[in-house]
Amino acid sequence: MKKSYYLLAVGLSALLLTASTHRNAPPTGFINGTPAIQNINALAFGPDGILFIGDSKSASVFAIDTKDKTNLDKAAAVDVKNVDQKIAAVLGTEAKNISILDVAVNPVSKKIYFAVQAADNSTVLLTIEGDKILPVSLKDVSYSSVSINNAPAEDAKDQRGRPLRVSSVTDLGYADGKVYVSGLSNQEFSSTFRSIPFPFANKQDQSSLEIYHAAHGRFETYAPIRTFTTAQLNGKKYLVASFTCTPLVLFPLDEMKPGTHVKGRTVGEFGAGNSPLDIITMKKGDDSFLLMANSSRPVMRVKYKNLESYEGSLTEPVAESYATAGVSFVTLPMVNVLHLDKLDDSQVLVLQRKANGDLDLWSTGDRWF
Amino acid sequence: MVLKHQRIRLKNNKGLILFFNCRLWIQTCLIFILACSGRKEGSINLDIVWENERANGLIIPSVYLTEVPPDSINNSLRVYLSSSQSRTAILGDYQQAEDGIIFKPLIPFTSGLTYEVSVAGKTIGKIEIPMPIHTDLPALTAIYPTQDTLPENLLKFYFEFSHPMREGQALKYITLLKNGTDTVWGTFLDLQPELWNKDYTLLTLWLDPGRIKRDLQPNQKLGVPLVHATSYTLIVNSGWADTRAVVIAEDFSKNFFVAARDSIRPDLKRWSLKTPNPNTTDPLIILFNESLDRILSSEAMRILSADGTPVNGQIELKNEEAVLEFTPESSWSKGTYVIECEKRLEDLAGNNLNRLFDRDITKDAEQSMKEIFTRKFDIQ
Repeated sequence: MKKSYYLLAVGLSALLLTASTHRNAPPTGFINGTPAIQNINALAFGPDGILFIGDSKSASVFAIDTKDKTNLDKAAAVDVKNVDQKIAAVLGTEAKNISILDVAVNPVSKKIYFAVQAADNSTVLLTIEGDKILPVSLKDVSYSSVSINNAPAEDAKDQRGRPLRVSSVTDLGYADGKVYVSGLSNQEFSSTFRSIPFPFANKQDQSSLEIYHAAHGRFETYAPIRTFTTAQLNGKKYLVASFTCTPLVLFPLDEMKPGTHVKGRTVGEFGAGNSPLDIITMKKGDDSFLLMANSSRPVMRVKYKNLESYEGSLTEPVAESYATAGVSFVTLPMVNVLHLDKLDDSQVLVLQRKANGDLDLWSTGDRWF
Repeated sequence: MVLKHQRIRLKNNKGLILFFNCRLWIQTCLIFILACSGRKEGSINLDIVWENERANGLIIPSVYLTEVPPDSINNSLRVYLSSSQSRTAILGDYQQAEDGIIFKPLIPFTSGLTYEVSVAGKTIGKIEIPMPIHTDLPALTAIYPTQDTLPENLLKFYFEFSHPMREGQALKYITLLKNGTDTVWGTFLDLQPELWNKDYTLLTLWLDPGRIKRDLQPNQKLGVPLVHATSYTLIVNSGWADTRAVVIAEDFSKNFFVAARDSIRPDLKRWSLKTPNPNTTDPLIILFNESLDRILSSEAMRILSADGTPVNGQIELKNEEAVLEFTPESSWSKGTYVIECEKRLEDLAGNNLNRLFDRDITKDAEQSMKEIFTRKFDIQ
């Protein structure tokens, strides 16, 4: 009897150990070490505390297992005044000598991460707990990476041995097992948009495609994506992207195949002299909303149901100066918002340059959507 | 005082011993200087560790740390900005060295700022970080295109610098004047991140594509960024800091006149060739009959022998990027060669080998989808 209990205990222990080992096992393809990150340009979270880092200088996306997996359903409200000064202080400098390149919230722990650039162009990864700013070490971590510089000519050297072009990461996102990366070349006027299955495979299965949009049914040009999100509209998955020249364009994700020439449907023009900065999706009840921060316009809100019902494509030029057209949207009383992210299901994280020059990090509830 | 050959034995908190041999570093171009030129205040001597002309560390002599147990360094020692009223500790690593502790901040110390060191809450010294010892100021070495007559649908400028420059500052220092007097706003696209090469010595600045693309709202309401038959001055203002915090000392300007729109794709068939004689290393001269993109015309093009082997050689662009000279490393042989060009080669208006920058789909022919364009030539 005692022996039976003993065997049962051993069996249970082994089961628990297996479960525990499985829970702590690194994601497929991850290795331990120090990733060769040259520059942290863009941040996005994937599943289970995986942080994706877009690195324009090494033309790679790194996936870092932050081990930051303690679930928190609702984040505490955020209100950090002069966040740039606070970050500068822990870095031993003044706010004018740093730039916050990106902000991302871990959807599991609701912890906030920053990519910060110093005056010598080096970048660091920081996090904030309460009002305490802490470094996130990228030494001896569990990680994997994928090159986004896969065009044959890009890997080559020219006849004088100089390195070829840089593909700058303009935005990064994760949805449904894929990492999406938009990039710009520092040479030719081109736009690349890649969807990369995650976990990253040894054999890359990337889609790299050329995106075009037509202005009012007449002129067709390359369309370098500035910022994007993914969304489900009428049961179909779409890339919702905004461009260096502001229009909001929809692309069906299932039509985005490698090497294809994809033309999007322009559903909105939000005014001249403006550039989109960040797009996020928030949900309230049965409705989903797109929130878009802009360089010289307030934050805009678009109801996804309006996008779903807007079947047309802009074909007529906007007649009135600085006017807008296309899908209806609401302008929120909030200007100079530089970054947006979803803090939790009911709160939006905002990095905003105030009228007095202060840079504040704060959160807002669902009154925005 | 510069100590060129000092050997320092370092030991970090985990007991890992590292050796830094300054002579080796100098040989490998990593300049490591123990600078004693900083203005020091307080009671102790603090030395700065310089790496690549950046203040990357502070040496705190061990004689002042005798009462701090090695395992309490992180808790007892604190480096902070003198201006920080809350004495916020600067993030970084403490490494045990033979003669003291080296504090390495997460980012380099800033020249002109004063830092203090405290042990167990008591300030033991302070130091102002001087400017790095440098022999050369950063300068703008070129603006491309070099032509002084540019198409009204010009897509981009390249700015070439002698030193890596600080990112994110371009539009604070680059301005455009119309007819020598009026500053023109909203001409350039404010892209973050900016488009730099890997070394931060070449910046690509786009004129707002939304204003160049015909019929888009910015184009209709604000017009093209450059107006036909108008004179402009492009100015790069002094004061822009490089990555060492050394600033450009003088303004740089380029005058240009805006001519008609360029709505024709570059075409290899229209180029004129001056072929060299066999058994010489004279250059192959390609006349584009227009100025092409400075960077792409050298990087998107190569010369192949008849069997497809690349011919090694030097590319030089002349006559305001309208002429390319290719000088081979080895003599030309009699026979056929190929000029191979990737589709991405652009003219000054962003028209590439396949398509116009903005194609009128109601008028223009369907665009080509070719990746590579070639043209044969014979050496006889």
